[in-house]
Amino acid sequence: MAAPPKSSPKDAQVMSAILKDMGVLESEPRLINQMLEFTYRYVTDVLDDAKVYSYHANRKTVDADDIKLAVQIKTDHSFTSPPPKDLLLEVARQKNSQPLPLVKPYSGPRLPPDRYCLTQPNYKLRSVKKPRSVQYGMPMSQKIGLVSQVKPMIGPNLTVVSKSLSQPTVTILNKTPSTPKPTVRVNPGLGALGASGLSRIISSGGLSTGTLGTTSMVQTLQPAPPPTAPALSASAAVVATSTSASTSVSGISTLPSSLPTPGVAQVNPLKRKLEDDDYDI
Amino acid sequence: MATTSSTSEEAVKKEPASCQYDKQTLVAVLQFLRKHNLKGTESLLKAEAKVSEDDLKTEEDKKTEVSQALAAVYKSDDDPSLFEDLYQDLKTFVDSCLDVHKVELSTILYPVFVHMYLELVYNGHQWNASQFYSRFWQDQDEHRHEDLARLTSVRQKEHMVGSDNQLLESFKTSKFILRMSRDSYTHLKRHLQEKRLSPLLTIVQDHLFIDVFDGVPRTQQQIQASGGGLTGEVDRDANKAKVLYGLLREPDVQIALDDEEEGGEGDEKPKKKKSKKDPLLMKKSKNDPNAPAPTRIPLPELKDQDHRDRALGFREAKKRVKLDHNHLPSICFYTFVNAFHGVTCVDVSDDSSLLVAGFSDGNLRVWSLTPQKLRGMKGVDDLEIIDKEADDVMERIFDDRTAADFKSLTGHKGAVYSASISPDRAYLLSASEDGTVRLWSLQIWTNLVCYKGHNFPVWDVRFSPHGYYFVSASHDRTARVWVTDHHQPVRIFAGHLSDVDCCRFHPNSNYVATGSSDNSVRLWDMLNGSCVRVMTGHKSAVHCLQFSPDGKFLASGGADSQVLIWDLATGMMVAQLQAHTSTVYDLCFSREGTMLASGGLDDSIRVWDMQKIMAEQDTEVDPSIPSNITINDSPSLLLGSYFTKNTTVLGLHFTRRNLLLACGPFVAPS
Repeated sequence: MAAPPKSSPKDAQVMSAILKDMGVLESEPRLINQMLEFTYRYVTDVLDDAKVYSYHANRKTVDADDIKLAVQIKTDHSFTSPPPKDLLLEVARQKNSQPLPLVKPYSGPRLPPDRYCLTQPNYKLRSVKKPRSVQYGMPMSQKIGLVSQVKPMIGPNLTVVSKSLSQPTVTILNKTPSTPKPTVRVNPGLGALGASGLSRIISSGGLSTGTLGTTSMVQTLQPAPPPTAPALSASAAVVATSTSASTSVSGISTLPSSLPTPGVAQVNPLKRKLEDDDYDI
Repeated sequence: MATTSSTSEEAVKKEPASCQYDKQTLVAVLQFLRKHNLKGTESLLKAEAKVSEDDLKTEEDKKTEVSQALAAVYKSDDDPSLFEDLYQDLKTFVDSCLDVHKVELSTILYPVFVHMYLELVYNGHQWNASQFYSRFWQDQDEHRHEDLARLTSVRQKEHMVGSDNQLLESFKTSKFILRMSRDSYTHLKRHLQEKRLSPLLTIVQDHLFIDVFDGVPRTQQQIQASGGGLTGEVDRDANKAKVLYGLLREPDVQIALDDEEEGGEGDEKPKKKKSKKDPLLMKKSKNDPNAPAPTRIPLPELKDQDHRDRALGFREAKKRVKLDHNHLPSICFYTFVNAFHGVTCVDVSDDSSLLVAGFSDGNLRVWSLTPQKLRGMKGVDDLEIIDKEADDVMERIFDDRTAADFKSLTGHKGAVYSASISPDRAYLLSASEDGTVRLWSLQIWTNLVCYKGHNFPVWDVRFSPHGYYFVSASHDRTARVWVTDHHQPVRIFAGHLSDVDCCRFHPNSNYVATGSSDNSVRLWDMLNGSCVRVMTGHKSAVHCLQFSPDGKFLASGGADSQVLIWDLATGMMVAQLQAHTSTVYDLCFSREGTMLASGGLDDSIRVWDMQKIMAEQDTEVDPSIPSNITINDSPSLLLGSYFTKNTTVLGLHFTRRNLLLACGPFVAPS
């Protein structure tokens, strides 16, 4: 119902009167709460800004001018409205004066250049053993190499490090040395291999985090190697394993003796480990 | 710019009228000239107006911007208490006229009311303004009440200077356009000049544009039909350009067709089959003077798969049910359950095999409407070993292990407001509240591209019937045309006064129609981005558009629960279909264009007789005289109403065989 009960605080009654004035005759009761919250937040923001301005102007008290300035800046910042009509017309005129681009014949899927697409892999495969040459995940044209590299890899773990084109990163961990069994934390833009291709990598290793699917979770790495990998906000469901990778993990005891960095040998397949050269792109 | 030139016009107009020019306006003009480096004109004007440099400087100190000076067009020294009397006087004058003229002259009352109110507010007479408003607002039309409510939020002069209120901006900068017959206009002019009502006269001169036509005054029905635009109607120049509404010449598919046919149907001779072909195909082979050249805009070439699709399409078309007023369509309804307020949009592919739904949490789901499941593509290794020359290569590339009844696509950060499947069923576009349009592959089920151009919610996105191009409509009052291989738009259609709610391509891909919250429908030319048609008549926002299959007519439906049919050759309204009781969300023409289905918020689907509209359309009439236009609104056009149980109709689609598919979410009654 629109009208709050008589016993509600004065603020709520004022708010419902405002809503009625503006034409909102029927609304859910929680709308009043939301509007009051918004009002409170807005007013406190404006007053805080005004305090800063009056301090900057070496005044003892907050003035009406400070408030006006604070409101003006807040409006320019938060309440942006679409550009004015004359600007739009000008921009449109310029754009429309260029002829339509010609269609390239026989060009397969017509997509923008790769840097504007989300089709790049955003991980690279890296060998754990330092002396070995680092293998990087390659863009679409060389993804065949990537897949085939996974198979013959025996022994050393594969640490897959992500980072490309400022996209969320992915780590592939190796579980046992017998066959590489990458654990994949997925990323949305794994179009190069396709979800099915990726699942093939997983299935070939026989391990899956159980979270692979076309809906993907996202995880980012921060440039500095923190112990914990932060989770990205976009999709929820961060794997529980994204806890501190610095905790020593058992397992993988049958690794070959060359253990370049501490913590590598004791890698829990479900926990990501971070290394200094994770971010050496 | 148009707006600033009107300022100079006003300055000129005011000179003979009162021999005393408004200083503010003059300063605004000088500022404009200075900004554009028109030094000669500036010095001449200064000399003539005898404005000294000192005056100018003091004005500049006060920071009179051109836009503020424009707002100052409302500045007047008139006695505020006069306004009520003036308005009342105008009302009585209109009532006293002959009936013939009364209806036409009554259209002037709304804009005069609005501008009088704004003038009172600008000059600081707050109390007078509210008195004036409360006395006269109920006399205005019903459909204007919402706009008026938005105007009342402007109570003080400070509110007017900030540019948040878009409605206010539209009133301030654009002139309200009225169409009147010459007789009514002379009446009005005589009355205003006799009584020497100077404020009224200035308002009429400054803010109204009266397009006079020679002819009989219009009837109430005609005026009601075309009224309703945010800034009035359209002047005759807006709809003058020639629109090439014909269809493109179809490429020859006869060879492929015969191959398919001989396999399927056996003993009939090829010659006999050709004569039984779809009559549409025969027409297209002749030169249509109203059709654009096939190379007018670059279109992608047809691949083998496309040729096969077309051949299949023609075969299906032959088995089509012929719909007319005796043969109503069968309707198959797909209801989304457990999706309360979640489903925001639906789309069905052209061959009716895929259904996509967008949700308010940002996900999309694609379902298969045929027994064949949705499969993903195989991995690279498997793809390499496939024989590329095999006939069923398109089947072999898909991995049966990934077969599913539906697939989910996640990526948007805000609600998905529109989805569109490409004609070759390989791509899907989705438009969202986060301002992006995303391209998804329906073969590998991932997000391919994210098009960022609008910074405001995108309300609609649509592929062109030939693929490759797509148009998006957004809150930023523009519609943009993109191509899939450019990350920026190739065309921007700016001109609407409020957000663009829907957009559609013409069947020949040369024109785009957009419907907006400023109650108008516009048709844009792809070649140069110009607006070739403006059509007013809706009383509220336009939510859906659809072109007829022959490209001649455009149907639009909106929040005012009307469905209007427009003739694109002239831009005139042909029919007004009123039967819905709430917003119309989707429209669909039957495959041969004889029937129109509409569905909406009132849980019903209504079927209209398009054949009758086309037959009864008067094509001999001269469109430049509005009073000659007859609008068909007979109740016999409604062929049937089909009601659902609490299920809003969000999407309508006629299959190739003329079965009507409808989709909507079930909303449990609270």
